[in-house]
Amino acid sequence: MTIELNFTINEKKITLKTEPNRRLLDILRQELNLTGTKEGCAIGECGACTVVMNGKAVNSCLVLAPQINGAEILTVEGLEKDQRLHFLQENFLKHGAVQCGFCTPGMLMSAYALLSKNPNPTEAEVKEAIAGNLCRCTGYKQIIDAILETEGDIK
Amino acid sequence: MIPKIEYFSPVNLTELLKLLDRHQQAAKIIAGGTDIIAGFHQGSARFKGIKYLIDLNWIDELKKVELSSDGIVIGSAASFSEILKNELINHHFPLLSTAASRVGSVQIRNRATIGGNFVNNAPCADSVPALLVYDAEIRIRSVEAERAVSLADFLLKPYQTQLRSDEVVTQIRLPFLSENYLGDFYKLGRRRGVAISRITLAVLMKLVESKIDDIRIASGAVTPIGKRFVSLEQFARGKTVSDHLYRELARMLGNEILDATGLRWSSAYKLPVVQQTFYQQLQHIYQTGNLR
Repeated sequence: MTIELNFTINEKKITLKTEPNRRLLDILRQELNLTGTKEGCAIGECGACTVVMNGKAVNSCLVLAPQINGAEILTVEGLEKDQRLHFLQENFLKHGAVQCGFCTPGMLMSAYALLSKNPNPTEAEVKEAIAGNLCRCTGYKQIIDAILETEGDIK
Repeated sequence: MIPKIEYFSPVNLTELLKLLDRHQQAAKIIAGGTDIIAGFHQGSARFKGIKYLIDLNWIDELKKVELSSDGIVIGSAASFSEILKNELINHHFPLLSTAASRVGSVQIRNRATIGGNFVNNAPCADSVPALLVYDAEIRIRSVEAERAVSLADFLLKPYQTQLRSDEVVTQIRLPFLSENYLGDFYKLGRRRGVAISRITLAVLMKLVESKIDDIRIASGAVTPIGKRFVSLEQFARGKTVSDHLYRELARMLGNEILDATGLRWSSAYKLPVVQQTFYQQLQHIYQTGNLR
């Protein structure tokens, strides 16, 4: 069975044909070459594959490809504009919130989803927003600090 | 790996029911996908032999949360994020809001649905103890008929329910409670976020002049399936609250759980934890009740 998908990825509308047994994560990495989104556990526990779908953070390893029809997807590649990093990304650099970098795209997307709904989150809200993102290197302090510094309208 | 499947996206109940009727056991319903896609990846025996996936996400009426004359009606495909931000649920059924807030992570709650939480009858389903103390009734549809059944009766044994392969759960109905119920929901996992429950307890209590007018107690994870403790509830009704009674009830709850599970390797740890937790819940409920 081949299906046709129509959706928006990083503000670009696209159409592609695929099989229904693929995940959003597979579409991103294998069809669209958007390898910023990482595969970690593949069962929704680590958050490395987090992307923003219709304004909400989701694990792209748990979204079936046909479920993204008509959706707006934002990945880490969509954060930078005109070759300039998003200031959320700048703050990750400034605070040393990146060590091996594997969790970073997911962390950024969870943070982005939070900040786009809640521009001035408390520390508790930040922790809640990234509770589904595992980091095994830096610890979470630098990441939380980076997100807390990114206040205001992030778009 | 997800097996080769055919995928259907019905846009209304009629289409959905026809598909279920046609494909029966070869078909599986998908909504949030947080159980089934992870299950495929892990090669779970629960998802073997599936040829068709039928998606509920395109059927708007299954996602609504509405008032009815005597309670609220939650569409089975409402996500936990929707449930969490719903004022009606938060106001009238706060234990369900608390339980919803403890499910998975933001990412999981944005996808996972309330129906999906109990249709697989996993013992650790976080919403089940809360739904049980609220006397949840569920509505089930097939091509031929609609039926209503209490959630307690719907859940048969671990990973088994009353649901037939041509049926779908469409609604969860929670009847309003009379005034003055107080309650508490407790979840213990190995960590706070993204944790599979080891113990869940939900308690609702209505006190009239220091007497227990009504009490409802339900557990999850620590029993083979989420369950109410009917005989314990009966024992407690009409009794005057006291520290002694709370200790007695906690001791009895432990015994009932041991009867339900048999001795497990984890019993030496879990039983005293359950008993102490339940004791503290009763104390807490009484104390906050006194503040009113």
